[in-house]
Amino acid sequence: MLTRSFHAMGTEVEIFLDADGKAEPLLDEAESEFERIEALLSRFRPDSELSRLNRNGSVEAGPELLELVSLSLDARERTQGRFDPTVHDALVAAGYDRTFEDVERQQSGAPSQVACAGDVRVEAGSVLTLGRGTRIDLGGIAKGWTADRVLETLSQAGPALVNAGGDVACTGRSWQVGVETPARPITLELENGGLATTGRDRRRWFRGGVEAHHVIDPSTGAPAETGLLTATAVGSSGAEAEVLATSLFLAGGLTQAASEADARGVPALLVGDDGSTVMAGGLA
Amino acid sequence: MTDHVRRLYLAAGALLAFFLAWAGIAAHPWTTTSAAPDAASARAVALYEQRLQRDAALLHSLSQQKLATPAPPVRIVTLPPLTTTRTS
Repeated sequence: MLTRSFHAMGTEVEIFLDADGKAEPLLDEAESEFERIEALLSRFRPDSELSRLNRNGSVEAGPELLELVSLSLDARERTQGRFDPTVHDALVAAGYDRTFEDVERQQSGAPSQVACAGDVRVEAGSVLTLGRGTRIDLGGIAKGWTADRVLETLSQAGPALVNAGGDVACTGRSWQVGVETPARPITLELENGGLATTGRDRRRWFRGGVEAHHVIDPSTGAPAETGLLTATAVGSSGAEAEVLATSLFLAGGLTQAASEADARGVPALLVGDDGSTVMAGGLA
Repeated sequence: MTDHVRRLYLAAGALLAFFLAWAGIAAHPWTTTSAAPDAASARAVALYEQRLQRDAALLHSLSQQKLATPAPPVRIVTLPPLTTTRTS
């Protein structure tokens, strides 16, 4: 088994490739691809394509930005706005205005709410144009999407799994992936698809004495208060799992999230604020 | 030939000369007939073709997303995990 770990997109990335040493160059390629996509899509890099879009309000987008924004807009529609790429300003207002390593854990200033559901248009095939005051953050989908993208290349050499800081994409054989819960770790086994966790147990800080975190509820424009600590979802891909996990996290509570996972057939592991753990969507 | 007949010939000749001149001018003999597309129009066509291809790819991508893709089979096991998912 070939393995590789490296830091990218503000998190740790792990790659497992069930192949012999001749496939080693594919791991180099995978690492380079993460770096390349981060350089294109990070909101923290002033020279990224995404930063240019946010700064200028319009850009002739390359295929990666175009595809990811299109996927995000489609996800916004499918989740009735729970997943929303236009949460950029709400994240900044909440205090997440730099890479998480540099975010001050104790911030002054009052918590604020910023309107989301901004206008994003794709014109002439590849020109992305933002409505007035709209800016985009792709942090809720880019890691899973890049994991999917890298997985496609790796799978030419054999079964593979890519874990981008908890956003997992895998294919080719049975893979065991652990899920942290307050009571005990749970191991899920899947052969292909994606797995992702959204929550407020990490990437959190205090602003004006109030706890803030990185999951914005687009309906309030502020860090979500949902009664859930984490939501883990299984999807057909890493990107899809990220969207589903965010959607369940914002479903309105543990009971609502479980009902929705059951109704939609989304295998999910949900942890409430009180530490209670619920399995839903056929997971048992 | 009487004056009357001469005037008729003159009028017919003038009419014929007028129509010949008209036909000659209408044919635009001073313009070039080569209709080969220049480099600029070829580039414009190529760009338009690329845009159509991008539009088609985008539509295809969106339509694929619209299709409800079922979640892959997953089960809980007691094996140790190879890796762990957590809030990303």
